[in-house]
Amino acid sequence: MIFLDVVYQFDWSVVTDRWRQFAEGAWVDVWVAILGFGFACLLGLGNAMLRTSGVNLFKIPSFLYVQVMRGVPLYVMILWVYFGIANVLGVNFTSYQAMVIALALTGSGYTTEIFRAGLTAIDRGQMEAARSIGLNRVRTYGHVILPQALRIVVPPLGNTFVGLFKGATLMSVIAVPDMVFLANELNVTLFTPFEVFTAVAIILIVLVFFFSALVYVLERRLKIAT
Amino acid sequence: MTGLLTYTYDWSVVWKSIPFFERGLTVTLRITVFSIAFSLVLGLIVALVRMTPGPIGMIGFAYIQVFRALSLYVYILFLYFGIAAVAPTLIGVRIDLDPFTAGIVALTLLNSAYMAEIYRAAILAIDSGQREAARSLGLGSASTFATVIFPQAWRIALPALVNQFCDIIKDTSVVALIGVSDLMYQAIERNSFYQHSFEIFTSVAAIYFVLVFIVAQLAGRLEKRLQRHLA
Repeated sequence: MIFLDVVYQFDWSVVTDRWRQFAEGAWVDVWVAILGFGFACLLGLGNAMLRTSGVNLFKIPSFLYVQVMRGVPLYVMILWVYFGIANVLGVNFTSYQAMVIALALTGSGYTTEIFRAGLTAIDRGQMEAARSIGLNRVRTYGHVILPQALRIVVPPLGNTFVGLFKGATLMSVIAVPDMVFLANELNVTLFTPFEVFTAVAIILIVLVFFFSALVYVLERRLKIAT
Repeated sequence: MTGLLTYTYDWSVVWKSIPFFERGLTVTLRITVFSIAFSLVLGLIVALVRMTPGPIGMIGFAYIQVFRALSLYVYILFLYFGIAAVAPTLIGVRIDLDPFTAGIVALTLLNSAYMAEIYRAAILAIDSGQREAARSLGLGSASTFATVIFPQAWRIALPALVNQFCDIIKDTSVVALIGVSDLMYQAIERNSFYQHSFEIFTSVAAIYFVLVFIVAQLAGRLEKRLQRHLA
């Protein structure tokens, strides 16, 4: 079976000579993921507040929204935003924008449920007490409900971020020049698949470990504070 | 560039694409079923390895950590291009996976790590008195696990496992990138043919959504049935 195979010449200099490019590519993954996650949190928080507001009108749309966002693969979402929505609305998103939007939409399905759980975990008496001492709705949320809910939601939100970050590595499919895009390009031009994809896998693992550790530390600190 | 009012919807392209979607859907379903079946088995093995004391347990731990940190896309590229290129040189064996098999292998390896953690949590949730009682009745450790621990742990693990099934269905879309002609691949093909991205991708999103929704519903029912004796 082996007679047809050429011996693979390892050439790690392909990676080590371009460590800057790999670092820059990884940085693109990180900041696009952070932006997407930020918007996902805003969408999720808004949606969860509507859902827990007790107004029945919002309940079913909010529920459907969560189901749809969680039921559609990220890859489909990316192409839907980048090609589909762009086509209909006549907006030409840059590939960066499309990726951030796709991550925000997919992520918001998860963040909504997390914020909802966080908000409903706060005793109703907190809201009633705050309102009865004269705080209005906005201040009640800002000073009483959200600070308490945030402690509950941080650990699961951290996990959602890690998930979105891993999903962000798909961005090369719409030609955002991240580290996977770089690796694909190097593989095509220099034919060093093992070196470049190993490098990308290792960078990804290290970054995910780093973010997971960060979440763990945050989780511990918030626990002590309560 | 088309504007909001000037875009002409043409949903007939979706009807014309249905035979292609059907073909893609069968591939997607086959990948899903194989990946779920294999990762359920491999996940349990990894969980048992992870729970073994000593260095063997550390191997299981490392396996789980590494595969949970990788994204499917990166892993598929690594497996399909990277490993395939060096395998003859490094281990003297050709690993010439076709895209379909490579997709299943990648999905299985990644998801078995998640499932291992689910199994582990479920097994740890079983009261240690159960094990002690079974052992003191004279059951060996293998039959204690098979007849006492696992039947109980399985019920606890099921809801989380099915969540994982839903993730697997969605993740299969990524295999289109190495040329498996699954649902997503067909959608991209049809899109480049008809140039009606909104209609094509909306309908494909709907198909995935329905698949995930059905599995989640089935899971809800199964869960109720399995826990009927507790009610």
